[in-house]
Parts: sequence; structure tokens; C-alpha cells
Amino acid sequence: MKKVKVMSLISIVLIISMLAACSGGSSEKTSKDDKKLTAWAWNINVPVLEAAAERFKKENPGFELEVIEIGREDVYSKLTTGLQAGGQGLPDIVLVEDDRIQGYAESYPKAFLDLSKYGFDEHKDKFPASKTDLLTVNNKVVGFPFDGGPTGVFYRSDIFEEAGVKAEDIQTWDQFVEAGKAIKEKTGKPMLGLDLNNDDGLYRMMMNQQGSLYFDEKDELTLSSQESMNAAKVIKQLKDEGLVKNTVGWDAWISAMVSGEVATAPSGAWLTGSITGQGKDTSGKWGVIPFPAFEEGGNRASNLGGSNYVIMNSTDKKQEAYDFLEFFSTDEETQLEAMKGGLFPTLNTIYDEPIFTEKQEFFSGQPIWSTFTAQMDSIPSVNYTGNYSLAMDESIKAQSESVSGKKTMKEAYKAAEKRLENRIK
Amino acid sequence: MSQTRIIPYLFIAPAVILFLVFTAYPIFSSLLLSFQTFEAGEYSFTGFDNYVTLFHDEIFHKALMNTFIIFIVQVPIMLILALVLSSVLNSGLLRLKGFFRVSFFLPTVTSLVAYSILFSIMLQEEGIINTVIGFLGIEAIPWLSDSFWAKASIILAMTWRWTGYNMVIFLAALQNISNDMYEAASLDGAGKIRQFFSITIPQLKPVILFAGTLSTIGTLQLFDEPFNLTKGGPADSTMTLGLYIYQNGFEFFQFGYASAIAYIVVVLVGILTFIQFKVAGDR
Repeated sequence: MKKVKVMSLISIVLIISMLAACSGGSSEKTSKDDKKLTAWAWNINVPVLEAAAERFKKENPGFELEVIEIGREDVYSKLTTGLQAGGQGLPDIVLVEDDRIQGYAESYPKAFLDLSKYGFDEHKDKFPASKTDLLTVNNKVVGFPFDGGPTGVFYRSDIFEEAGVKAEDIQTWDQFVEAGKAIKEKTGKPMLGLDLNNDDGLYRMMMNQQGSLYFDEKDELTLSSQESMNAAKVIKQLKDEGLVKNTVGWDAWISAMVSGEVATAPSGAWLTGSITGQGKDTSGKWGVIPFPAFEEGGNRASNLGGSNYVIMNSTDKKQEAYDFLEFFSTDEETQLEAMKGGLFPTLNTIYDEPIFTEKQEFFSGQPIWSTFTAQMDSIPSVNYTGNYSLAMDESIKAQSESVSGKKTMKEAYKAAEKRLENRIK
Repeated sequence: MSQTRIIPYLFIAPAVILFLVFTAYPIFSSLLLSFQTFEAGEYSFTGFDNYVTLFHDEIFHKALMNTFIIFIVQVPIMLILALVLSSVLNSGLLRLKGFFRVSFFLPTVTSLVAYSILFSIMLQEEGIINTVIGFLGIEAIPWLSDSFWAKASIILAMTWRWTGYNMVIFLAALQNISNDMYEAASLDGAGKIRQFFSITIPQLKPVILFAGTLSTIGTLQLFDEPFNLTKGGPADSTMTLGLYIYQNGFEFFQFGYASAIAYIVVVLVGILTFIQFKVAGDR
């Protein structure tokens, strides 16, 4: 019988230890090391965070930051799962993009630390209003602004030259379409690549440019608004005139650009990093102009993308995390480093640095950074709302139906607005 | 005495506990979740609300329809192809059997995401597939941007990946069919084709049923291909139940609604499997 007792004891111990392993794990890890912070971020953001942590450590001995590199989409999956589980398994700091942050802040009101309680307001004027407005949700400041995406039309100067079209002369979207026709006629090349069935980036930029997005400042739907029709009309025109190359996915889009198959790419400033990286041998064949306006003299500033650092409310090192991110967000050296990686800083105290007026060899000697900084104060603040993802889903469908001619433009956007209304009820 | 009675339970305890924690609990809690809605960080019980919404949800209907179309078209194509391939590979006429078996099975072991991305590159408007059919004088096909062709692309990709898997199942079963039957049949004057329909297929019936059931479940849960190839587009024409569950949960934060859809899928799998057993099963 003794053997039996021993065996049963062993099994019990095994079971208990197994259960303990299941339940305790993650929360223990994050709370034990007294001063060590963890952060989730992706790509170029990782070395920028690490370098900043090293500098911060000099003044704050014992400070420790562990940056866990996770792919952009995976960060959101993990963040959502952690928030669903009531804040378990989450790090102290997370990088969240502009278009996602209000969705999280509204769906999970307790997810992010309210930075205004820790004194963020004193830094507010160091960032553009479009950014601080974005980060103020229900009177709470939910994140530190990091990079932004002031927009521009990146163009291949060699193709423009070949067609005899002057990019600087493009002031309005009508002129953009006309230029596209001329280029198509002379060189046979389409004006731009778009993923009309899966992405509505150009539409969003055009909406932002006109001061709204899928919702106006009163949370009213705008899919069938005049602004929306303006934007959709240009996109349909481009498609109907044969000026669009259908590029499915990011890789196809970017490679169409660098291999010179299309003449332009309207996008955020961060595209600079990708085209200089992937199109090294195309140096000197590029230029950037601000977004064309919808009418002569209209607003030419808009935004696409950008990201922010949030502190999770579930952390027990709120003050430490705040102190570090306060340093990170306002430290000029850090922001300049991020810029080398192709990110466009929103910290406006550094816009007088020499790099912003330097001529860029890659862009045929154009000082492109000043083209972007010039718009920073005119980018309209827009209301993403918690229903942004749903709205984008419907907007893409409307765009797809509108350009394919299945429905007229107005019908397509009206129907999408109706569907969206039902879905957010 | 009582001590010895406990022993077997202790031995099965790890498996039972793991099952309870990782299978039974999620099943139960997602059932509960399907009766709740999520509003501003809090869950609240709303009875059958999610199911009622589902009933009127156009996208859900569309996803159901798409899944059904893919199921009706893809599963038979794939199973017939697998059956033919396995019979050919099992016959004595072929050389390099091992090479062919491995080649056909290889797609099954490739990563889902990697192959989806490869397909999305090949199916671009100026991709390799359109280039090749261009040589044959066929006009470029909008593989991923037309609602009909997008479905066709998904079916193509799924067939490429899963035919080899079913082929291996059939091959294993074929090797269990006694050669005596074929010999007897050929003595009676039955040709190869007659043998295939009169011996091979009846003998394989339970295995075909098994493969059919697995494929049914697989199709109803279809996610990777539309997620990576088309994102459900254009205009929801490749939206599947699996993808819609994911979107509702992880993009729109409606885990309650997502759970409700998942439960509908469970019911559908049950019904379809039941029908298959009724139609095909003898016992």
C-alpha cells in the first residue's frame, strides 16, 4: 500500500503545481522587478525606445526598460485579449496608432492611464492640436503623442519630366486628375496605385483634409456628406479615366512606386522611410508636393497614420512609466533619432533643427521635411470615435461598389451609411 | 480498499483537469458570453439580443451564403481530385510513386500564412498567373478584385492546399483493400474504371465520409485564406463565418456577438454532419 500512497502523493503534487503554473504566471513577472518597465512596440520604434531608455537611465540609476518587439497587428490582438481578461498579461507601456486609440479608449474606458492627472497638460502646447485633440477622450488624456503622418503627394520626378507635367502646378484635385491624364497619354503609366477593395487610405486623407472623417465632431455619420462625395468623386474619376493601377496589399503598392510603374503616391510623411529604404537606386527621382485642395485656395493639410504611447492602467508602476514617457516624448534627441528611422515627430520644439530645412538628395534636392512641417498647424482635428473600425469596413465596401459601377456613387455611400447606422446601434 | 479505488482517477486527473480548464470552461464561458453585450468596458446580460441581431445581420447572411457556396463547390472538387490522385498513385503503373506522393502532400505542411501570401502575389493583376494565361491568349482575370473571381481564388487556394491531405487519407485506406477483390473482378471481366466505381468507391465509403466531415468542419471555420488573400472583400463577397467572428471580436470588440456566431457555426456543423451520416452512412 505504501507504493500507492507515494504515487498518489506525486500525482497530487504534479496537479497542484500545474494549476499554480496556469494561474500565477504573467502578473507575477510584471510586478516583481521593482523598477523594470516593459513595453510593446514594433519595427523601428524598438531601437528608438531602447536608446531613449539608455539615456534616461543616466539620470535615473536602476531604471530598466524591456522592449518586447511584437508585430503591429499582433500588438492589437494581444492588447484586446489582455483588456478582455481585465488587464492581465499586459505590459506597462504600449504603442497604439492614431486610428486605433479612440476605439480602445471608448470601448475600454479604464484601459489607459489618464495622463492629465500626472501633469501632461504642461506639455500640451508642444504638440499640434490635431494630436492632442485625438488623445483627449472623455476629458482624459489617454496617451503621449509620438509620430504623425502629415500628408503629401510623393511623385516620380522622372515620369513627370518625361510627360512634361510640372508637379508644383498641381493645386487642386481637378488638376491632379488632368495631370494624370497627360502622364497616361505621354508615358502610358497610371497616376497612382490603389487597393480599391481593401483600403480607403486616400479617401480618409481627403476626408481629414476637409475636416471630418467617418463621423463629424458631433458623432454624426458623414459617409453621404458633401465632403464624402467630393472625395469619392475624385477617386471614381481617377479610376474611370484609367489612372489607377489596382495594387492589392502594401507590397504591391510600394513596389509599383519604386519600380516606376506609377507616377505618384499620396500618403503620410512616414512613406519617406519606405521609399528611401526600398528604392535606393531611385535616388534623385523623387519629389513631394502638398495635397491638392478641393477648390482653389482650399486646405492642403491632412494626416494619415501616426502613433502614440499609452500607459496601461493595470500597471502598478504608473509614476515610473509616466516619468519615462514624459522624457521620451519631449526629448529632442530621441525624436530626431526616430526621424532617422523615417518617423515624423510631432514634438514641435524640434522643427527649428537644421534637418528640417536641409535639402534631401533623394528628393532631387527638395527640403521635403519643411513641406511637411509647414502643414502641422493646419491639420484639422478629426473625430475617430469608438466605431472607427466598423465605419472603415463600410466605407471600403462603398468605395468598392462605387468604383466598380455596381451602384452609383451616391447610392453606394448612402447604403453604406444606412448599414453602418444599423451596426452601431 | 478505498485507496485503490482512487488510483485510476488520479491517473486520469491530469487529462480531465486539462480538458476542464482548456476545453470545457471556454465552451461554457463563450456560451455565456454569447448572451452578453459589451458597452464601455462592461459586459451585461442581454438575453437573446445577439441572436436576434444576427438574424437581421446582412453581413452574417452574406458570410453564411459565401461559406455555403465555397462548401458546395470546393469540397466535392477537392475530394474527387484526391480520390483520383490516390487511385493513380496506388496503381502499379506509375514510377517514382514516392516523389509524387511527397509533391502532392507538400502543400499541406506549408505554413497557412506563407502560402496565402504567395498566392496573393501570384494572383495580382500583373502576377504570374495572369502572365501565363496571357500567353495562352486569355485576357487578364481580376482574381482578387471581382466578387466572382475572388471566391474562385479562395477555392483554388484551398484546393491546392488540402487535396494532398485528403489524398493521403485515401491512400492509406486504399492499401487496406484486398487485392483479391480486384483480381476476382478482372477475372470476371471488369475493366479498371468499372473496378474503381464498383470496388474502390464502396470500399472507401467510410473514409470518404470521414474526409467529407473533416472538410465540412474546415470550410465552416474557413479563416486564413480570406483573411490573407482578400480580407473578406470585395464588398464582403469572400466574407466567411470564421473571418466575421474574428472581425467582430478583435476589430469591433464585440466578443459577445462573435460568440453567438460561433455557436451558430457549431449548430450548423452538427446539422451538416448529421445529414452526411444519414445520406452516406449505412449503420
